[in-house]
Amino acid sequence: MNTDATDNSTWANDDIKGLFNDENGTLDARIYNDEALYELELERVFSRSWILLGHEDHVPNTGDFLNTYIGEDPVLLVRQKDASLKVFLNQCRHRGMKLSRDDSGNAKAFVCTYHGWAHDISGELVDVPFEQQAHCDRLDKHEWSPLQARVDTYRGLIFANWDEEAPSLDEYLSNSKPYMDVMFNRTDAGTEVIGGMQKSIIPANWKLAAEQFCSDMYHAGTMSHLSGVEAGLPEGASLNDVEIPTKGHQFRAKWGGHGTGYFIDQPGLLQAIMGPIVTDYVTISPQAETASKRLGSNMFGQRMMAQHMTIFPSCSFLPGINTIRTWHPRGPDSIEIWTFIVVDADAPEHIKAEFRKQNIRTFSTGGVFEQDDGENWIEVQKVFRGNKARKTKLNVQMGLGDSTTEHPDFPGRVSGVYSEDAARGFYQHWLRMMTEPNWDTLKP
Amino acid sequence: MASIIDINNIISSPAADLALQQEVQQFYYREALLLDNIKYEDWFALLDDDIEYYMPIRRNRMQRYGKVRSREIPEYTNKDEFAHFDDDKTSMNGRLRKLLSDYSWSENPASRTRHTVSNVIITEGEEDNTLNVCSAFIVYRNRLETQVDLFVGERHDILRRSDNAMGFKIAKRTILLDQSTILSNNISIFF
Repeated sequence: MNTDATDNSTWANDDIKGLFNDENGTLDARIYNDEALYELELERVFSRSWILLGHEDHVPNTGDFLNTYIGEDPVLLVRQKDASLKVFLNQCRHRGMKLSRDDSGNAKAFVCTYHGWAHDISGELVDVPFEQQAHCDRLDKHEWSPLQARVDTYRGLIFANWDEEAPSLDEYLSNSKPYMDVMFNRTDAGTEVIGGMQKSIIPANWKLAAEQFCSDMYHAGTMSHLSGVEAGLPEGASLNDVEIPTKGHQFRAKWGGHGTGYFIDQPGLLQAIMGPIVTDYVTISPQAETASKRLGSNMFGQRMMAQHMTIFPSCSFLPGINTIRTWHPRGPDSIEIWTFIVVDADAPEHIKAEFRKQNIRTFSTGGVFEQDDGENWIEVQKVFRGNKARKTKLNVQMGLGDSTTEHPDFPGRVSGVYSEDAARGFYQHWLRMMTEPNWDTLKP
Repeated sequence: MASIIDINNIISSPAADLALQQEVQQFYYREALLLDNIKYEDWFALLDDDIEYYMPIRRNRMQRYGKVRSREIPEYTNKDEFAHFDDDKTSMNGRLRKLLSDYSWSENPASRTRHTVSNVIITEGEEDNTLNVCSAFIVYRNRLETQVDLFVGERHDILRRSDNAMGFKIAKRTILLDQSTILSNNISIFF
């Protein structure tokens, strides 16, 4: 970790360690708005963690590519001839120009539009204009090819990581996989993408969003989304008729900062978001029963509802709603949100259409739930401009000491559904990534 | 989907009768006043029962793959894909209910908006009592203390003659926003 960002940082490790306390649940607001901490995050978090780039279905055929990001670094995700995937920096090694500026597409080569350096779909520099006359054959084209990242998949999701020393994706996901499987492993057919990546900018720190999906059921049933719930009520019904669930759990991963939470057997919130057709599909349909058999438990197949989840640092999704997003950081006070929708690949067409429709209605730029999240995050971020406000200790104490690892139905460390144990896990892992330079101490 | 809108047909169509042009533009100006003065119920009442309120996502595509704007290559997501809006009367009524709620934080306090509508081109509708109308809009939004957003784009409407005070209802509205990545924290207003 002997890097420029580290060498030049005004932050010493001991000072960073004081920003969060896992035992007493206190958090220093500077983690959300300090420019120097953000530079360290790009180096120590985003360049060492597995980052969600997309889904296998985004790039089904040889040469299919997706132009995306790891942190602020533009990368190309490309399907290879042997069906494997490559991820490399979308940067020509000559003058640094992008090799591709399409959002997505199919390519036989990536040719830099500045001087014409040409790369094959694996990211190898293969042709340089006037190579003989200009470089006298002294150019080592392999050496001057774009930087490659590691790439791996879990149940259709494609992640990439710059760090050669980081644990495998499988180890990285730790004991959170059963909770991911609720969304991604319901059927032999797996999931497919509903086409189209929605992108938007929110002037807020990426951790506000990632932590909320990790650990915050509390905002959904209390204040933030009451008008979103109202928008989905049948004619004549009022908020008083809605039973806001209270029964459920939150899970904090053993390692890695991942977390999830969910209600049990109380479909009220899921109904308000997705309507009766999707709710029945994921809870009582024959397909839901199949999912229970596959996942080895009707708890995981049918009874967990309105689940939220984050895989540290920036991959979040909502099983049963099936929105999935990457929170790409854009400075300490800006997120570029990339959102897509998945559905069971073998779901009936009318079910796929209903997932699409309800996601557009609720969890999209114009969504009746998402709108109000954006409002919270940007206001929080603005408050942090204050000299006192930015140094305030914030309270992350909900459910402190209330977790168990002995639950009969749910593996790992679980607490009540209204808890911040997963948030503490998220910030604790963030703290470790920010202060521990090598994987000997960090590894799972 | 081969095309969302047949631009060539609009470009080559004859100019509408002056009185009709005036009538449609005046409808749009009054519609804009409803939106800009947060008369939500009155604006939602302009949406006909079969309303399709649709805003696809736009993407960056290289021209070498085909004529992007003439839809050989889909710049816009199609009707099976993700969108910013794809609403019918029921879901629009839900949006109205949200706006009227005390808890609708994204519009409470309400945004200050200014909808300007221009470049109005009227072509024949598919039914006797409908018109196809293409227009351009610039919407300025100022929100809370200092937030400013600018939304610019194209609308393709099907207007249906109505005996309401405004003379028309909106049967279909397709909104092509001139942004790929949405540059604001949400789209909590209407176009």
